[in-house]
Amino acid sequence: MPKQKYLLTFTSDIVDEPITYRIVKDYDLLVNILRAEVDDHGGRLLISMEGSGQQIKKAVRYLMDAKVQVKELNEYVKKDERRCTDCGMCVSICPVDAFEADRTSWKVTFDPKKCIACGMCVDACPPQAIKIGEL
Amino acid sequence: MDCEHLRKRMSSGGTEYTEMRNMKRSYEEINSKIKKGDAVVLTAEEVIGVVQSQGVEKAAKEVDVVTTGTFGAMCSSGAFLNFGHAEPPIKMQKVWLNDVPAYTGLAAVDAYIGATEVRENGKIDYGGGQVIEDLVAGKPVKLRATAYGTDCYPRKSIETYISLKTVNQAYLFNPRNMYQNYAVATNSSDRTLFTYMGKLLPNYGNATYCSAGQLSPLLNDPNLRTIGIGTRIFLGGAQGYVAWEGTQYRTDVPVENGVPTGACRALAVIGDMKKMSTDYVRGLYFHKYGISLGVGIGVPIPILDEGLMKSVSISDEQIVAPVLDYSVQSRARKPLTKVSYAQLRNGTIKLHGKNVKTSSLSSYRRAKDIAEKLKKWMEEGEFLLSQPVANLPENQTFKPLDLHSQEEV
Repeated sequence: MPKQKYLLTFTSDIVDEPITYRIVKDYDLLVNILRAEVDDHGGRLLISMEGSGQQIKKAVRYLMDAKVQVKELNEYVKKDERRCTDCGMCVSICPVDAFEADRTSWKVTFDPKKCIACGMCVDACPPQAIKIGEL
Repeated sequence: MDCEHLRKRMSSGGTEYTEMRNMKRSYEEINSKIKKGDAVVLTAEEVIGVVQSQGVEKAAKEVDVVTTGTFGAMCSSGAFLNFGHAEPPIKMQKVWLNDVPAYTGLAAVDAYIGATEVRENGKIDYGGGQVIEDLVAGKPVKLRATAYGTDCYPRKSIETYISLKTVNQAYLFNPRNMYQNYAVATNSSDRTLFTYMGKLLPNYGNATYCSAGQLSPLLNDPNLRTIGIGTRIFLGGAQGYVAWEGTQYRTDVPVENGVPTGACRALAVIGDMKKMSTDYVRGLYFHKYGISLGVGIGVPIPILDEGLMKSVSISDEQIVAPVLDYSVQSRARKPLTKVSYAQLRNGTIKLHGKNVKTSSLSSYRRAKDIAEKLKKWMEEGEFLLSQPVANLPENQTFKPLDLHSQEEV
């Protein structure tokens, strides 16, 4: 089943709208809240939605109609392969094991599908190979 | 123990002793084989399996050299540079390279740029390590110098660009590299710590280690029988040399399976930066800590006898390191426990019943690559062994810095 991550940004006038509830109930999607922040400018919600591709599309349409800014999240964290030395410092920092060291070659790989955009790896990388993308 | 058992043990021990006495190989023999392209060279990783399947005796007969490697943050590193003379000449009193201060309390245009020196603008994310990497990369580096001016050196300031092509000498001279074993770092406190052992998450959130274990040079010849002053090595992608004992060199660390169980010996090394590669010389920034230099080093261990064959066959299971709590801000941290490199490399260790994820700070992938490269150099006759011109100390302690009166010292 398709699974996709979205960053939802909403202004303070729509914080009362129970968007997560709607997505789950009306579109039958498995929703996982990866990060949530609300401050005086409004809120930011990082969620993953799992379900049929059709339903995800409809849910995104609903969100946009509700004036929520929707951004599909593909590459939040970028690993510069030329700067990476394959040390593995990031491996124990990542809470979702998006970084892994291969047990034979000891090459460190990054799986953007697992990444929840927490950014914890960025300041952990000694050769400064990990950069954060635009949110 | 019954008599039969004892007799067998003695006889097998006796055989081993005779064999050990029999199998001898000299540096000259190995070098002539290297020159002919006949030397049998294995990496310290490959040799483990060979010794396990064939035994020490047979392996020692077949293998001439075992190569080691490590690539990690080595803070006690730096480079000597000679800029050449300006017109009119200047006796540099203060010097900056890309705004990073270098030390020039030497002759007029000699300077030493230390890896951990940082820019003077309050930011600590660019420093000597990056300057060295930029130079090795062939990039232009801004040189700024000031002076008080003398009759023979009238000039009082200069600002120009240098590169490895313009300077006379540029050589790494690292006072302490490739520590023989090191501690494992963790953090019991409730906040994230930023240390030279990397980012340590709260409540034993992770543990970091930095030795290449079974591939690490000084763990493969733990008593430095073949490594001493003048030993030719792989340094930063070029051929370099062991210059001296490393600072903080010590020999008094408890030994298990023939190797020290914590930070012990270290080496001072020297090599020509003009021949190095940024694959093995890399500026590193440890967030909120500062700068270090990632250095790649490989040392060949000649198999002169079976004793050396046995020592190079050491594996990660047999090498242990103490786990230290870096939230204890003291030089006298008591180890929480000891763990093996096999456990560390496996990805988790157990601390207080909790599974703690581990991270390596040194690149095992690059360590393997260095050992392979050194092996290839020898197979192709490009790298010859050098016998040490002097050995390093056999007994040495590591002294602390205490507050003393003039009379006490």
